[in-house]
Amino acid sequence: MKRTRVIAAVVATLVVAGGLTACSASSGSSSTDGSNGPVTITILEQKQTRIDDLKKLIPGFESAMKKQGKSIKVKLIEDVLTDDQFKTKITQQFISGQAPDIVDMGENMIPGFAAAGYLAPLGSYLDKWSGWDHYLPQFRKAMVRQDGKIYSLMHDTGVSNFFYRKDILTQSGISTAQPATWKDLIARLVEIKDKTGEPPLVVPAGSAWGGGTWTEGFQPILSGTDPKYYNVKSGKWDLKSPGWLATFNLYSELVTKGLLPVQDLENPNPWEPTKYDKFPAGKLQVSAQGTWGWKYDWGPQGQSPIADLYQKVDTWQYPALKSGDKPYGWSSLGFGYTIPEKSQRKDAAMLFAEYLTTGVPLAEQLQSAGAASPRDDLTNVKPFSEEPKLLQATKDLKTSVYVATGDGSDQISQAVASATELILSGKASGAEAYKSFVKNATDLLGPDLVK
Amino acid sequence: MTSIINPPASAATATRPASPKRRGKQRTWPFVLILLGPAAALIALFIVAPAIYSFYLSFTNTQLTGFAARDPKFVGFQNYVYLLTNADFLSSLGQTGQFVLYSAIIGQTVLGMVAAILLSRPWLRGKGIFGAAVLMPMVVPEVVASLTWASVLSNNSSGTLNQLTSLFGGAPTDWLQVVPLASVIIVNIWRGVAFAMIMFQAALEEVPAELIEAARIDGAKALQVFRYVTLPLIRGPVFLYLLLTTISTVGVFGLVYFLTQGGPGGQTRIAAIYIYERALQFSQIGIGSAASIILLIIVLVLGLSYVRLSKVEV
Repeated sequence: MKRTRVIAAVVATLVVAGGLTACSASSGSSSTDGSNGPVTITILEQKQTRIDDLKKLIPGFESAMKKQGKSIKVKLIEDVLTDDQFKTKITQQFISGQAPDIVDMGENMIPGFAAAGYLAPLGSYLDKWSGWDHYLPQFRKAMVRQDGKIYSLMHDTGVSNFFYRKDILTQSGISTAQPATWKDLIARLVEIKDKTGEPPLVVPAGSAWGGGTWTEGFQPILSGTDPKYYNVKSGKWDLKSPGWLATFNLYSELVTKGLLPVQDLENPNPWEPTKYDKFPAGKLQVSAQGTWGWKYDWGPQGQSPIADLYQKVDTWQYPALKSGDKPYGWSSLGFGYTIPEKSQRKDAAMLFAEYLTTGVPLAEQLQSAGAASPRDDLTNVKPFSEEPKLLQATKDLKTSVYVATGDGSDQISQAVASATELILSGKASGAEAYKSFVKNATDLLGPDLVK
Repeated sequence: MTSIINPPASAATATRPASPKRRGKQRTWPFVLILLGPAAALIALFIVAPAIYSFYLSFTNTQLTGFAARDPKFVGFQNYVYLLTNADFLSSLGQTGQFVLYSAIIGQTVLGMVAAILLSRPWLRGKGIFGAAVLMPMVVPEVVASLTWASVLSNNSSGTLNQLTSLFGGAPTDWLQVVPLASVIIVNIWRGVAFAMIMFQAALEEVPAELIEAARIDGAKALQVFRYVTLPLIRGPVFLYLLLTTISTVGVFGLVYFLTQGGPGGQTRIAAIYIYERALQFSQIGIGSAASIILLIIVLVLGLSYVRLSKVEV
């Protein structure tokens, strides 16, 4: 019996000693940037264009680090998914602590993940990084979340406008001048519809478009007429703000007049029949679209290329919805690199994020994705500098509208999708859809997030 | 004849040694434990424990994202009240009911019975090919089956169904948009008919041939024989099948998700899709769990009703 106890005591001592050694080892070598030994970091990418870019950029980063005496290897995890699928999957990985060291994700997901505590604050790294000073001031401000911290390093952005088929409108004798108001635009859309017999406009709406209904469809229109629907300081959504009803009424008018392709919008992948089939074929003439349309959607290497794109397609800004408003472009924080709070290799991960958002590596990504630059020092860096549309979008960022939002954007996105779906299915007018939206959003957000 | 007066139970247990039967039982316990233990442990770990945890979550406002994810709170029956007054959830229950009724209870059962009866006919030629054709959908993985039907029901002119309708002058139709619920019902019938056929075939083989023969001699026609002789005799297996198919069809997710993702306009948003959307897409685990519990209760009630109706031993 005594012997057993002695053995147990020895084993326990060894376990405790081993644990303490491990702890002291991990706290002693606080740097995980590859200067104290080889480090392998992982990066998750969901868009094929960006996957192709990263494959080209990773060797350059590894050799740049080697020159600095740091041994960092990067493992690329390719997972081409839709935004909704990606969100579902990465959420589980964050919770289980299995997420890669860098996750590239859209702005629409970042507030929710940051608020849940899944993402590491990056402020201490950015303060020491010279590249941070080159970010445009509006983005440096917008990246600060409700708790005063920054959780993502944005690498691309864009300006949303209405892309239209200049060639077809010109052939049909329809004006291609910038419509000043929605009334003007609707009159022009009716004119197109009378000639073609088909709905001429696509604006994301309904449940099938997922988060895009809010970020690419509803929010740009709402923000242009009423930027006070969210207060960053209080973190509350004002559901009584007048822009909500006005925007729902606009959607209702577009559906009632047969200007939106309702059946296509209810397709499980609504962007396919609209943006990938009908717009390139000229059967749908106007599309709400971000800068990436020039490359990612309709560029030579895009999802559905349009030959002679710059001759056939041009853009209008969003027209004014109410009197006193002016036409505008809508911008957002686009995509950004994030580092999970549970990552054990944050230093090395941040070095890679900084590398990807600097100079030629960033210029190459912007060129292939068709994005505007969030930095002020890229206009002369090839190949970005050779893209006039992207340079123009970067200039337009300074005058574009952007409303920063925070926790609850997921729930708002869901409530907007459900309410616009009611409009698409003919079950609700604009006012009825707004009423349904307020009820749903209030239920989903809970009392803490509603003004 | 001997009369035996039983002593009180306590006295019997106190004074008498264990009977051989009881000793036998005691000896078999370890064996039973070895046989059932691993399965019971797995069921407890992967079914019972998650179900209990899900029950707990359904009374909280647990979310996967946002500040609420850090500090879930107990909310009592709030999630249940929300769901039972929510038009989307009630609509999804209605669609689940239609899906189960038309695809499982009517479609699979009737066609499975017809296939089983045909296969039991001695005059039928090519039984092997017929049986294999009916069985094929059951062995095909769900994703493959969905992609196959996505191709059949494709909206462009190369879709198999559109090619068939074009032979009669029909224009290409987007079937999954125009008749979405009917489409997924047909696909589910196609996929589940084999299991029904196998169960009914086995049941039909147990029906004594003399009874059928006697009914025929008494002048009963084929339908009357089936209605008054065969069907009452196979009532047990039929209700057992209805029980199993109802449970499995209520839980169908992949087939519908791959084909329509619950659309268009929520027309095929059956309960499983609704729960997935709430719990994982919108990160509201509390509400998703409450919806799961409501669905579980509905399935339990249906299951108990079947068992009572059929007196099936389960």
